[in-house]
Amino acid sequence: MTIDFSFLARYQDALLMGLGMTLRLTLIAFALGIVWGFVLALLRNSSIAPVRWIAAVYVEFFRGTPVLIQIFWIFYCMPIFLGTDLSNFTAAVLCLTLYGGAIMSETFRAGMKSIGREQYDACHALGLSPWTRATRIVLPQATLRSVPVLLSNGIGIFKESSLVSAIGMMELMFIGTTISNRTGRPVEVFTAVALIYFVVAFPLTRLVTWLEKRILKRFAI
Amino acid sequence: MEYEFQFHYILQAWPVLMEGLKVTVQLTVIANIIALTLGFVIALLVLSKYWLLRAPFALMIELFRCTPVLVQILWFFYCVPILFGIYLAPLPMGILALGINLACFNAEAYRAAIQAVPREQLDAGVALGFSPLQRVRYVVFPHAFRAALPVLITNGITLFQQSALVAIVALSDLMYMGRQVATQSYRPIETYTAVALIYFAISFPVSRVAAWVEQRLDAARA
Amino acid sequence: MTEIQPLVEMRGVHKNYGTLQVLSGIDLEMWPGDRLVVIGPSGGGKSTLLRIMMGLEDIRRGEIDLLGKRYITGHEQSGKTRIDSTLRKQVGMVFQHYTLFPHLTIISNLTLAAIKTRGMPKPAALDKGMQLLKRLGLESKAQSYPSQLSGGQKQRVAIARALMLDPRLMLFDEVTSALDPELVAEVEAVMLELAEQQMPMMLVTHDMWFAKNIASRVIFCAGGVVVEDGPPEQVLGDPVNPRTREFIERVFHIKT
Ligand SMILES: Nc1ncnc2c1ncn2[C@@H]1O[C@H](COP(=O)(O)OP(=O)(O)O)[C@@H](O)[C@H]1O
Ligand SMILES: [Mg+2]
Repeated sequence: MTIDFSFLARYQDALLMGLGMTLRLTLIAFALGIVWGFVLALLRNSSIAPVRWIAAVYVEFFRGTPVLIQIFWIFYCMPIFLGTDLSNFTAAVLCLTLYGGAIMSETFRAGMKSIGREQYDACHALGLSPWTRATRIVLPQATLRSVPVLLSNGIGIFKESSLVSAIGMMELMFIGTTISNRTGRPVEVFTAVALIYFVVAFPLTRLVTWLEKRILKRFAI
Repeated sequence: MEYEFQFHYILQAWPVLMEGLKVTVQLTVIANIIALTLGFVIALLVLSKYWLLRAPFALMIELFRCTPVLVQILWFFYCVPILFGIYLAPLPMGILALGINLACFNAEAYRAAIQAVPREQLDAGVALGFSPLQRVRYVVFPHAFRAALPVLITNGITLFQQSALVAIVALSDLMYMGRQVATQSYRPIETYTAVALIYFAISFPVSRVAAWVEQRLDAARA
Repeated sequence: MTEIQPLVEMRGVHKNYGTLQVLSGIDLEMWPGDRLVVIGPSGGGKSTLLRIMMGLEDIRRGEIDLLGKRYITGHEQSGKTRIDSTLRKQVGMVFQHYTLFPHLTIISNLTLAAIKTRGMPKPAALDKGMQLLKRLGLESKAQSYPSQLSGGQKQRVAIARALMLDPRLMLFDEVTSALDPELVAEVEAVMLELAEQQMPMMLVTHDMWFAKNIASRVIFCAGGVVVEDGPPEQVLGDPVNPRTREFIERVFHIKT
């Protein structure tokens, strides 16, 4: 069979719309996930033991199960608990946020842990108050150190967002599958879809590497 | 909310779920074996002196790391037969797709670890008169494998979870069986919860092992 | 005639980490203008002694006065250590490993504590910081980040950061041991200059030449107690205690 990508031109708008939805889902879930992840990281450092445990179980559970099953669980099971239907958009955002938050809480935690004891000693020797220490020394360093990994997590959410096609969300993956089914030309369609994901994700991974180097250099003390 | 949990459905469906788990474990184990070896070879190729060897494999790594696994799986199932004339049963095809995906992630881990092999170790290998292949076998690989181990294990667990995606191409793994049971019994909550717990029960202990290995390596380094 | 009072007075300071007894009854007086060099075997508790003086560690038992006032008290019964935070502000410390804040510029490293803990207005703090940097020949680095400085420059900035707060006592814990040999002199020069200005200091060093030059007194600590205490010529040149003699011969490779 001959490979011919030209017919895809007819589906350009559909594919772009799908990409738009993928990006929208990713950005919303990423933004909400950062906030949720930061809260989770704080909860995991809480002085109240049960709070720490619940947060830990939550994080481990979302990290330890397939995202696909999380999506199914939220889409099919949540409505039974809530007593109202969830639109697939809500379910998709909810799932990616809950999952992304779990992943990113680990990133924040690693960032906080990476601040060495000497930094705390220095704060102490200079007589900095706990508040100044938290806001001027710990938080900026933890955040700076977390930025590249958080961005990587964002790329992860972008890729995982393809799974919400399984609950009929009309994003890039879903539209690709539909076009492939309609035209019977999976080679061109799936290659094109893969390339679209790649074109977005690849430059971002370069950005992560670049940021990592810059930040490492700053912290190479 | 009035929902009556009826977990006896799970007991009925248990043998079916276990059938699926067997497929999932098969997929994961074989793909990991492929990826642990192939990943190291790819890492060596990417670190080659020759641009012509480096470039295609560097591109391959980036392609697999920067696209969703779901797209990769669909691509393998629909495109590999057409493009390369390779017709495999669903299970070997799933293993192939996941194995190559994981090999690319492992190659990244190996590459970082190989670059971190201390210069003196390589020099010692030369001084002892090892051939280049022997140096790789006796000096580079042991060092790189040890240093990369926590990431290799983590990648392996991630693949275990990602393997659920083969359900979408009707490979009857744990996820697929779970979905069947959920629709046939009209008990999605019990079924999906049970399936999630099965995945968790396997990946959580292994992730603890990875954390433990990492701690030991850190302690050895300090 | 006013009676001279000791700058520091330690009485029976005990310290342990869990079951490990690190200091078992340190008695020590420091007089204004004293420059006390602490020597002793690795793991002998030198860093611990300085960290206690900085208020970084609890003590099990004993008391420390600073400037004639009670600074630190270890209550064995309650297991609590009382540290007077006003007096702690009179002490400055420089550590072995660079402890500059990596995310702040050099000038911000200097001014942060002055502004936040001493209530110094920002322009005044900047002014003072720049003056200190000028004295150290580092004014061109004010806007740089720590990672852009050499090890010697970083330690000099760390000294300046402590001096910003006008301490009455400076503590230096092996501040040159992490440095490349060619960078040691520039840091030692700064400390010698401080010595000339009669800044009281307590320091740990393994550099024999430097110890002789800067010390007005040397103490040898081992097994958690002060084994020998005296002027540098005596402790380093002709120690009384056989343990001190053995240590000095071994570490400094000289026959006494
Ligand atoms: N935070 C700590 N926890 C447990 N033990 C410690 C700690 N800090 C120091 N020690 C132990 O206390 C002893 C004295 O340490 P230190 O004061 O650093 O010695 P020095 O500076 O003379 O080499 C050592 O045996 C060391 O291992
Ligand atoms: Mg020490």
